Amino acid sequence: MDALYLLIPLSALGVLGILGVFAWALHSGQFDDLEQQGAQILEAEEGSVDVRQGRIAPDLKQSAQSPARATTENP
Amino acid sequence: MSSYDAAAARAAMPPAPAPTQPDAGIGETSLRIGGMHCAACAGVIERALQRVPGLLAAQVNSVSGLGRVRWDRARATLEQLLQAVSDAGYSASVERGGAARLQRLRESRLALWRLFVAALCAMQVMMFATPAYVSTPGELTPDLQRLLAWAQWLLTLPVLGFAAAPFFGGAWRALRQGRIGMDVPVSLGLLVGFVASSGAAFDPGGPFGSEVYFDSLTMFVSFLLAGRWLEMRARHRAEVALESATARLPERVWRLRADGAVEEVDAAALRIGDALRVPVGQAFVADGVLLDGRTEADESLLTGEAMPVPKAAGDAVIAGSINLGAPVAMRVERLDADTRYAAIVALMRQARSERPASLAAADRWAGAFLWGVLLLAAAAGVAWHAIEPSRALWVVVSVLIVTCPCALSLATPAALIAAAGAMGRRGVVLRRLDAIDALAHASVLFIDKTGTLTERQLECVAIERLAPAGLPTEALQAVAVSLAGWSHHPLAQSLVRTLAAAPMAWRSVLEETGCGVEGVDAQGRRWRLGAAPWVGPCDAAGGVAQVLLGCDGRALLRFTFDERLRRGAAAALRALRADGVQVHLLSGDGASQVQRLAARLELDSARGGLRPEDKLAAVQAAQAGGLRVAMLGDGINDAPVLARADVSFAMGEGAAIARAQADGVLVSNRLQDFHAARTLAQRALRIARQNLAWAGLYNLACVPLALAGLLPPWLAALGMASSSLAVVLNALRLAR
Amino acid sequence: MNANTTAVHYTDAPVRGFALAAVVWGVVGMLVGVVIAAQLAFPDLTHGIPWLSYGRLRPLHTNAVIFAFGGCALFATSYHVVQRTCQVPLFLPKLAMFTFWGWNAVIVLAAITLPLGYTQGKEYAELEWPIDLLIAVVWVSYAIVFFGTIGTRRVRHIYVANWFFGAYILTVALLHIVNSAAMPASLWKSYSAYAGVQDAMVQWWYGHNAVGFFLTAGFLGMMYYYIPKQAERPVYSYRLSIVHFWALIFTYMWAGPHHLHYTALPDWAQSIGMLFSLVLLAPSWGGMINGVMTLSGAWHKLRDDPIIKFLIVALSFYGMATFEGPMMSIKTVNALSHYTDWTVGHVHSGALGWVGLISMGSLYYLIPRMFGRTTMHSVSAINAHFWIATLGIVLYIAAMWIAGVMQGLMWRALNPDGTLVYTFVESVKATFPFYLIRLLGGLLYLAGMGVMCWNVVMTIRNGAVRAAPIPQLAHA
Repeated sequence: MDALYLLIPLSALGVLGILGVFAWALHSGQFDDLEQQGAQILEAEEGSVDVRQGRIAPDLKQSAQSPARATTENP
Repeated sequence: MSSYDAAAARAAMPPAPAPTQPDAGIGETSLRIGGMHCAACAGVIERALQRVPGLLAAQVNSVSGLGRVRWDRARATLEQLLQAVSDAGYSASVERGGAARLQRLRESRLALWRLFVAALCAMQVMMFATPAYVSTPGELTPDLQRLLAWAQWLLTLPVLGFAAAPFFGGAWRALRQGRIGMDVPVSLGLLVGFVASSGAAFDPGGPFGSEVYFDSLTMFVSFLLAGRWLEMRARHRAEVALESATARLPERVWRLRADGAVEEVDAAALRIGDALRVPVGQAFVADGVLLDGRTEADESLLTGEAMPVPKAAGDAVIAGSINLGAPVAMRVERLDADTRYAAIVALMRQARSERPASLAAADRWAGAFLWGVLLLAAAAGVAWHAIEPSRALWVVVSVLIVTCPCALSLATPAALIAAAGAMGRRGVVLRRLDAIDALAHASVLFIDKTGTLTERQLECVAIERLAPAGLPTEALQAVAVSLAGWSHHPLAQSLVRTLAAAPMAWRSVLEETGCGVEGVDAQGRRWRLGAAPWVGPCDAAGGVAQVLLGCDGRALLRFTFDERLRRGAAAALRALRADGVQVHLLSGDGASQVQRLAARLELDSARGGLRPEDKLAAVQAAQAGGLRVAMLGDGINDAPVLARADVSFAMGEGAAIARAQADGVLVSNRLQDFHAARTLAQRALRIARQNLAWAGLYNLACVPLALAGLLPPWLAALGMASSSLAVVLNALRLAR
Repeated sequence: MNANTTAVHYTDAPVRGFALAAVVWGVVGMLVGVVIAAQLAFPDLTHGIPWLSYGRLRPLHTNAVIFAFGGCALFATSYHVVQRTCQVPLFLPKLAMFTFWGWNAVIVLAAITLPLGYTQGKEYAELEWPIDLLIAVVWVSYAIVFFGTIGTRRVRHIYVANWFFGAYILTVALLHIVNSAAMPASLWKSYSAYAGVQDAMVQWWYGHNAVGFFLTAGFLGMMYYYIPKQAERPVYSYRLSIVHFWALIFTYMWAGPHHLHYTALPDWAQSIGMLFSLVLLAPSWGGMINGVMTLSGAWHKLRDDPIIKFLIVALSFYGMATFEGPMMSIKTVNALSHYTDWTVGHVHSGALGWVGLISMGSLYYLIPRMFGRTTMHSVSAINAHFWIATLGIVLYIAAMWIAGVMQGLMWRALNPDGTLVYTFVESVKATFPFYLIRLLGGLLYLAGMGVMCWNVVMTIRNGAVRAAPIPQLAHA
């Protein structure tokens, strides 16, 4: 089973890689406040919806009135 | 008025220590941030903070509304950081209790990290180990066996080097103190197993044989860490519940500037010498001195006294007391850790460390047991070395693993944690698990009166007409309630609570500190609600206090206030005495009041007029008699006693100090729950004993098997895991 | 400070392109599938024309449905999800467009070279070495774009779907590079770096992990985003989704050997494959339950919304396939099922049921929004598609189950004296009616895809390409 001489070290390296990724995730706070994170994607607005059909995303009504919303951050 | 001399008590308090210099080193704090309405806002705030020179790290969470900052105190101040957030368009203030929260966050992250490393590596090691189990002898070529063994060795390194570090650290600490702790056999087993397996992996023909047991070792560590992680989560939950029950000093205060203007600042940004404006109803945030005005302060949480204390310019005010009478200005003299409040807390901590330590039952015999284990393992090794040297090492490892007091060490904590959880659900939050043992064995209960047996607020027990003619009583009551609504005085608030609301129109209302409330009604009559001589001439009545309603100098209605016994108190005390607990009432209040209350209850004794030293003496006398003492109280004057008793509980409404020092908090404020907690504690000990018996039997049965060489290490580890599981499941019966 | 803080619109051109490509390649791949299904029933269908022979068309079918249809759907949705959850446009948008053209070039090359007979002979990795190199280049670019977008994100938390996408991208890169290692002999001929049973081991390490990461992890990423978005409810337990991710990651690696039961692969390797395939059951079902329970409290949506039907029914097929798989990896079961059509049935319940339906549901959510609308042109057409497709799936897998078990039983039937009862040809003849039913099932599935095609065209006609604004902040 010579192929295992490749596959086994590869998977051992893989484990170390996984550990590294998990460590980074844990210490950068990716696992804090988990339950509320699941709902975050539902808050993001959908832009540019055809006003003639379908529901209009709430924020679009505002942007329809003030289309030029300049960003205020300096690069 | 109580005979308890509050002024003398305050004078007897320890002098405040000199203020500390907080300007060096690295600051770290938790901020509460407002105004974030989307996930990207957090990034904006982080970037704004990063622009402040001296900031080391900032992490903002838009979901929880909290942020963490670390900064170099020599280069930046907290105020600069708060200002940066404010300039970015958001609001920030220091989160009180944030330090504890950060500590818990660090602890839980580290524990989770260790557990993940151990579990992931254990899983992979098991995968690499499985070929050896499922293959027939000779099917695996030696080269492949070596490869698999090396891979297992590599992945065991992180487990032993990092994940298992707490066990090695604990064992080392115990050995340095000259005793054998629980971690010692665990560490020994791991080390011996690892060394021997490494030998087998790299030198299969050598003295360690060719069988490796990395999978047993890593699985073992994972399981132990999982148990510790569960215990930590339970402990954190209890702490969070406790913290939410403690009162907070105000976070934002009004500072008076030199030009007389008022600015709102964060309490953490205050300096000594600052002048503050304290509105009515707010707590004094620091120790200090009144600059002007006259007011009354509610110091009940600190002194146990129900009646407000009058304050005039030049009088000292205490952090944590509440301004009742009128808005005043004060000068800050001591802050945070330097306040009298904090000094007393420190004293209490010291008192606690000197109290009779009740060693956990396990610790007492643990030393002897563990010595026995080590000797047994050594003997087995020697014996087998004579019989069949190649197996000697593995027998030793098996013996160490199978005698590992894991089930034994889980037996009690599992039961205690489950019991603590059940108690928490019933309104009793524990701060320390070993309080359960003390609670179960307590045979004497010392209980405080005001705020513990009785509600903290006085109750109106009688309404008496003093003048036969005039408006009907209901109308007079309506006037009284309406006037009472204008005051923060506890007696007025009690009136508002008890009587029906009756809005009335007043031309003007004025509160006179120390006297009462005066109002001019639509018809121009001058009504007064308050103390006797001011409202009108009247005799004193029974009860603790009286409030009179009068018109134009004549007292018309008298409200008599008395202490109200908590609902269910009598039944709870009866149940406790039926269980064989002696119940003694110790109170700082006047002896006559104490006797009046005691008459309504069945008590073993009731004493009033006691100072803290007297209460302490009573506790010590009981302990000297060999009895285990429980204390239930709520005020600062109870605090030394709470620290000294074998087990202490504070009422949920009690003083912050009391709650901080007690072993548990009765957040439900119901005395029946205290009785229920005691019953639960006894059940917990029973289950712990069952667990210990089972674990002990299991060890007894398996040790001969291990000694006989019939138990390979992996089976020993598996057996240990299952017996530990059985112990935990048994303990979960308490959770119901 | 990164440039993304000033960007105003998402980079949706690649998303749009891949989404439409997915639909087109879906039709192509399924059409080829129908052809080869017909060939199995009617072998002389294509009159022996070499480039239409079964042996050459089958890999075209598998590559087209997995990498063309599935791959484009994954590209489209991963690019869409990573931008919306990180609230930044794609990192290096031009590189993203390169991946679009590059990947489609790979598909076109496959469509040309495979019928011409150029093949490496490794399942799901038939393409010859020049195309393998192109795949590697495109894939590395994909990884740069995807991880670069995450690296420049404006939202601190990385949504769970991105973890699944990220894992799938990295793993597929690793698998492809290792498995496709070959020594070229001429422009269109190469020899694998591994030989014999070693090659088989590597091949099925690749093959099963390709299923596990390409066809499962990647599409789970899709599921974790589009189900909450369409149902307008958060995932049932976000914490569970994280646990699900990590549990899946470290159990998948060793399941490969279950493809090689009773072959020259050593017994112990086969046993491990079986053992860990069974272990895989737990995390897979955890994820399925998590996704389905997202609808908890809103089950009426399953009745009213055909897109939800697609997404949730896809999850049920996922559950079924991830239960069936471990069962089939048990040696005794495998002794019956190996080499029979039961394996084909299993593959297609996962492919048509899980991969197909989840992709269609996600594309039905995505495509209108790429053209300035919230819904497709015809919702009843979506519904029709759903029922036609489901009927097709049921016919397909039922036929294959029956055929497979029948074949297995026939092949192992022994006379008392130890000789075989049936010849191989007899089992083939007995399978014929099931091939017809399967052909019908496939035709229905293709027809459903045709309905989708029409619906997409009408949606584009009545929509308009609009730049989607990134939510801006009210103040700095």
